[in-house]
Amino acid sequence: MQTESLIDMLARGAGPAPRAVAARRFIPAILLGLAMSSAMALWLIGPLPSAMFLTPAPWIKLAYAASLAAAASVLTVRLSRPVARLKRPRSAAWGVVLAMSVVGAAAFALAPAGERLNMVLGQTWLICPGLLMLFSLPTLAALLWAVRGLAPSRLRQAGFAAGVLAGATGAAGYALVCPESSATFVAIWYTVGIGLTALLGGALGPRLLRW
Amino acid sequence: MKDDARAPDFETGLRPLWMRAQAGDETAYRQALGLIATRLRGYFRRRMPNLQDDVEDLVQETLLAVHLQRSTYDPAFAVSAWFTAMARHKLVDLWRRRGRHDVLNDSYDDVDETRLVSESHDHHARRDIEQLLLALPSLQRQAIELTKLEGLSVAEASKRTGVSEPAIKVQVHRGLKRLAMLVKG
Repeated sequence: MQTESLIDMLARGAGPAPRAVAARRFIPAILLGLAMSSAMALWLIGPLPSAMFLTPAPWIKLAYAASLAAAASVLTVRLSRPVARLKRPRSAAWGVVLAMSVVGAAAFALAPAGERLNMVLGQTWLICPGLLMLFSLPTLAALLWAVRGLAPSRLRQAGFAAGVLAGATGAAGYALVCPESSATFVAIWYTVGIGLTALLGGALGPRLLRW
Repeated sequence: MKDDARAPDFETGLRPLWMRAQAGDETAYRQALGLIATRLRGYFRRRMPNLQDDVEDLVQETLLAVHLQRSTYDPAFAVSAWFTAMARHKLVDLWRRRGRHDVLNDSYDDVDETRLVSESHDHHARRDIEQLLLALPSLQRQAIELTKLEGLSVAEASKRTGVSEPAIKVQVHRGLKRLAMLVKG
């Protein structure tokens, strides 16, 4: 087929450019991922006693996950376009991580010296990042599919951003079952888990996101 | 980089057409795609001197991507910056598929000048999209043939086939997406 005929074919009856294409791919991916992450957490570990939800601990984790997810979803959507403005969502995502570090550091500094080690390690530091990452994997798969259907040009960055977003949903699921109550713990081990998921996304990006 | 599709006058001509095309103006869309195709041809010809036979294939592959991904255009950017980023992705992808080493080892001197001169003007790709259309699932192929080749409206195509209008649109879109995958080979 000649290129002129192809152009004719593409233009004929094309109508206006479709709208909200990114939303139609990303919203189901994120919702599905959240559901999977919560279901895995509740099924594998079981819910926290409801009294825990009267303390600030789970809410700090959920707030961290939600703010990071908000910034990372804008960043991931933008990175799914061939050219995009990335500065603000990128700073926002780093800003959330920084804010959580500040809160974690402040809690650490204010705590009596004898409790500090426990605030950092808790009872579960060894399993927290791995489980968080595990709970992120369904979201990561769904997000990579969503990004791939659009037109990313920076594949590693797009994979990394998708990994941050997936990590944030994994963190939200894990927050439902995580018994730790220190902000320092969250600032360190949640961030490690999310970071590992992001690195995995970044490594998969160049392989899986070609179009 | 004079060869990048960034010349301001080119953008000035393209952008209004493109914005009308995005809003649904078919004539403007056809013209815009024509301008983009010419730009892409120059872009690829300069960057793959020893793969001149593949230029038109890559032009067509990129045009399909431009069409399928037109929702990813952000008006904050020049249209040429947007489709050039797609063209670059397609070029890198071709290099990767062919083995970049092999491609870059040849210099411009190795290009057969006579073939450059005799470069046909009918812009025929080696790979024939018409042939690839035959490989689509029948519903997708039928929807594309009726609305995109015979030029029926979606309503007419729906009446002719008994398939609902939204379903026709979905089949056309899926068919073009499938086609874009087949084109990559």
